Amino acid sequence: MNDFSEIENELKKLRPARPSEDLAARIECALAEADRSAITAAIVTKPRRFHLNWLSLGLGLAAAAAFLVFARINVDRTPAQTNRVAQNTPAPSPSSISSFIPTGATQVVYHTHDEGLHFTAGYEEPMRRIRYQKRETLQWRNPNTGASLRVSYPSEEVVLTPVSGQ
Amino acid sequence: MDNVATHEDWKVCFSEFGPGLLLFARQWVRSPTDAEDIVQEAFVKFWRRNHRIDNRALLYATVRSIALDLIRRDSRRARREAEAFSDAEQSIEPQFELVDESQQALVAAIDRLPHEQREVLVMKIWSELTFAEIATALGISHNTAASRYRYALNALKKNFQTQ
Repeated sequence: MNDFSEIENELKKLRPARPSEDLAARIECALAEADRSAITAAIVTKPRRFHLNWLSLGLGLAAAAAFLVFARINVDRTPAQTNRVAQNTPAPSPSSISSFIPTGATQVVYHTHDEGLHFTAGYEEPMRRIRYQKRETLQWRNPNTGASLRVSYPSEEVVLTPVSGQ
Repeated sequence: MDNVATHEDWKVCFSEFGPGLLLFARQWVRSPTDAEDIVQEAFVKFWRRNHRIDNRALLYATVRSIALDLIRRDSRRARREAEAFSDAEQSIEPQFELVDESQQALVAAIDRLPHEQREVLVMKIWSELTFAEIATALGISHNTAASRYRYALNALKKNFQTQ
């Protein structure tokens, strides 16, 4: 690092321009304003009292009644519709479905992007945001029939990690 | 905790860090007024949350975050500013106090540095942050911060020797 001592000295001779007087005054105002609004918020905030809204209650009950009526009609129709459907292939029995057993789950991260520090509402400290792009694959196998089932899908995960420099 | 930000000593902290923060903010916005707006917002945000005042990395990270948000929010305006700056560099208020001719050449060389090197240089030279603090503020490794600093000095040294 000694090689750079001369240039470092030259750089240190440069003095950054000072902020205007106005900026300090503005910061003082903003801090005072922040204090005032915090006090006002504390005064204005009152415990919420329970207040029954008859209109909302009535509408809610009407909607619930309508839902029950339609649900009843659909339940009644369901057997008739089922009888009209022709079944060319036998439906899998519950036992054959349950005989599929999970054989593997893989997760391949193919891209990681560090999006830097972010300030998230409600958190005091900054958070580091890292975005992971992955492909997840789940596998099942039926030991009786030898059939296997594989589902693969892309996924994205965002991880926020609190950062503290203290 | 004695060194937590309180309203009594913000002026002391601001007089110490203000010029460095302003210079740091000027990297993203060429207008001094915008840079002061960024510093104001960052400083007030930092102060209101009662962070430790020796947490300079967080203070710089706050300035950087607000500056980047401003650019994203108003990218068109930032582009116009950048164009205006390249067209009429002389009309822009200087980032440093009175400088002689050789220093002007040095300032121009600093302006030509790649952005990631310049921000490390500004934090290291004029705010005297450690590499660990710079690494935290920028979200990079300690080694990356140190090597960017060396690259910047190397480029400036070459420029300085050719004069």
